[in-house]
Amino acid sequence: MTRLPMFSLLSIALAAQPALADDSSITIGFAIAKSGWMQPYDYASRTAEMAIEDLNNKGGLLGKQLRIVSSDTKTDPAEGVRAATDVIDQGADLVVVSCDYDQGAPAALAAVSAGKLAFSLCAGDPKMGIEGVGRQAFTTSHAAQTQGAVMADWGFAKKGFRNAYVLLDDSIEFTTSACQGFEYRWGQLEATSIVGRDSFKNSDASISSQITRLKSLNPAPDAIMLCTYPPGGASAVRQLRAAGIETPVLMTMGMDGSYWLPAVPNLSNAFLPAIGLASGPDPDKKINDLIERYKKAYGEPPATAFVFYGYALVELWARAVERAQTTETEAVFAELEKMRDEDTAIGPMSFSDQLHIQNKGRYLIIGIEKGKSEPLGYWNSPEIPKDVIFKQ
Amino acid sequence: MRKIDFISSSTPLFLVMVLFILAIASWLFAGTALNRAMIELLVRVVLVVSIYIFVGNSGIVSFGHVGFMAIGAYAMAWQTMLPLLKKNAMPGLPEFLLTGNLPFPIALLFSAMLAGLVGLLLGTVILRLPSIAASICTFAFLMIVHSVYSNWGSVTGGTSSIVGIPTKVNLWVAFSGAAICVIMAGLYQLTRYGLALKCTREEEIAARAAGIDIFRQRLIAFVLSATLMGFGGALYAAFLGAIYIDAFYLSQTTMLLAMLVVGGMSSLTGAVGGVVVISLLTYVLRGLERGVQLGPQTIALPSGTQEVVLGVVMIVALVSSRSGIFGTRELGEIANRFRARGAIWARFQPSND
Repeated sequence: MTRLPMFSLLSIALAAQPALADDSSITIGFAIAKSGWMQPYDYASRTAEMAIEDLNNKGGLLGKQLRIVSSDTKTDPAEGVRAATDVIDQGADLVVVSCDYDQGAPAALAAVSAGKLAFSLCAGDPKMGIEGVGRQAFTTSHAAQTQGAVMADWGFAKKGFRNAYVLLDDSIEFTTSACQGFEYRWGQLEATSIVGRDSFKNSDASISSQITRLKSLNPAPDAIMLCTYPPGGASAVRQLRAAGIETPVLMTMGMDGSYWLPAVPNLSNAFLPAIGLASGPDPDKKINDLIERYKKAYGEPPATAFVFYGYALVELWARAVERAQTTETEAVFAELEKMRDEDTAIGPMSFSDQLHIQNKGRYLIIGIEKGKSEPLGYWNSPEIPKDVIFKQ
Repeated sequence: MRKIDFISSSTPLFLVMVLFILAIASWLFAGTALNRAMIELLVRVVLVVSIYIFVGNSGIVSFGHVGFMAIGAYAMAWQTMLPLLKKNAMPGLPEFLLTGNLPFPIALLFSAMLAGLVGLLLGTVILRLPSIAASICTFAFLMIVHSVYSNWGSVTGGTSSIVGIPTKVNLWVAFSGAAICVIMAGLYQLTRYGLALKCTREEEIAARAAGIDIFRQRLIAFVLSATLMGFGGALYAAFLGAIYIDAFYLSQTTMLLAMLVVGGMSSLTGAVGGVVVISLLTYVLRGLERGVQLGPQTIALPSGTQEVVLGVVMIVALVSSRSGIFGTRELGEIANRFRARGAIWARFQPSND
């Protein structure tokens, strides 16, 4: 029975790991999912790495080279805390966390309580900020409401829609917020009305009763705002078209990516906002270059436009560090909160002492015509007030 | 007789000493990461020992104890989070919880009591059943807790993470928790209730013939074990600072039971030893996954190796000694063997083989 003393020796031996922090470099820690279902969403870290590479090629930040350390959260919020502690131990000055509030918040909280800055790749929930995690937490993403609002704006101006029907998949917070943003903006526009509202769940096999109610509407809507995501979203679009409803469908970035299009053969008259056209070619040269680079490095185009957020994250943070002339948390987050319409690879971005998420943004409107995605030009979403974002 | 008394009562003290040595070693030499791993280990000791109090002594495998852990953890969140955060995440809480804020030790106590109360209600209903049926019922209980907590959004935040629980659990809080739990489990085993329950584990009919009220004995252990499990859940919540309901489901149950089984289901030493062995192994494997610097090269195992190796180790451990690493042996006996070296060792050893 010499086992137990051996384990205590082992733990002492393990404790003797060297601390890796040194002053000649700045460290960015990624506490993100490298396994589990969250992994493909966290591919935004790939463009973040590209941005870090670019900075290093230009001579680094504050004259120091940037170093990347990372730890796998295994798509488990509890492991996220460990992953964050892990990268902080390895000297991280900034902790980049997963692309989702539920997955990323525990890691962000661990980073914040260790006095570091936490930056989510693309969590679309405003709680990833002052209210949910703390003042030192930021997310690069746009609030989900801006997506509904930009579709309202664009549909009104470009397509002349006036009577909208709102079909909400209320199974997650993101879609609920997107439709809320749509209704908020739609109500501000002149001579518009919402002729009907309905809801379903992503896992519903059929939305036939919703379709029946939609068909009996008078006046018939000239646009359907559909807030959902695949796979239920693809099934909903297919059922709408199969029922002979050819009304234009407005969607959210949740439906971005071309992988679900074969499920609805020859889909036309559908529109959605995205940060860029992931499958390329994007009308914006900066984004297009990013796509080409991504293809070269990983042998495939980005699956969704969410990956572009990573690049902007590093751009914003690096600029704040440059202005603060230090990586000290307090100074950097003060600089971040001062940012107004800061130019990034994915359009202007802002933070304030009220909001650590984007409440307006530039979107590429993507039109789906005969089963093919095509860019229809950039459109700016209107600014969404804080109380709408927090549903107060 | 005196010898046996020494053996039984010294076991929890020896175990606490082992944990103390680990804690001191980590406090003196370890960096934050290993320190966190050590705190987690100690919290797991609380959890596994709580499960052991019922499962080890009664022989009924409970799949539902993680449900009590969830109850304790959420109770901790309800009591200690900042009112501002509570209003955002869980607006449906009753007024006194929504506006009030309890100090950590009292919150711990209440969390444990809530879990104990639920344990009392559940135990009264299911412990009259034959052991296998009771086992399945505990599983059903876990499912009920999971689905209530994941759907009662206004009170539990639904399936979202609850973030912002004040993190009050440091190494010494966790050590004290583990020590309290180990000592309580050790004391309970010594009482007539503990002994009676062990009798029912070995031979139900004989126990009944000896006048033991099986239901009553099981209920006592179940409530004690649920209470400590709630205590462990509350510690877990106050350690991580963030909880979400899926953390209290099958994978957690499997992990905790595996620790108990690998260590040895029928001894307190087994419960604590299982946690120590598996936690340290996990820590080492995770380190290897991250990569080890060998000269100019970093050698890393592929992600996911940890789970695979852990599974293999468990199989090997159980194949080589069927009732776990420690079987039914207790640390007190082992220490005693060193004391009485040369003496003939002959004592009846009940086992679950």
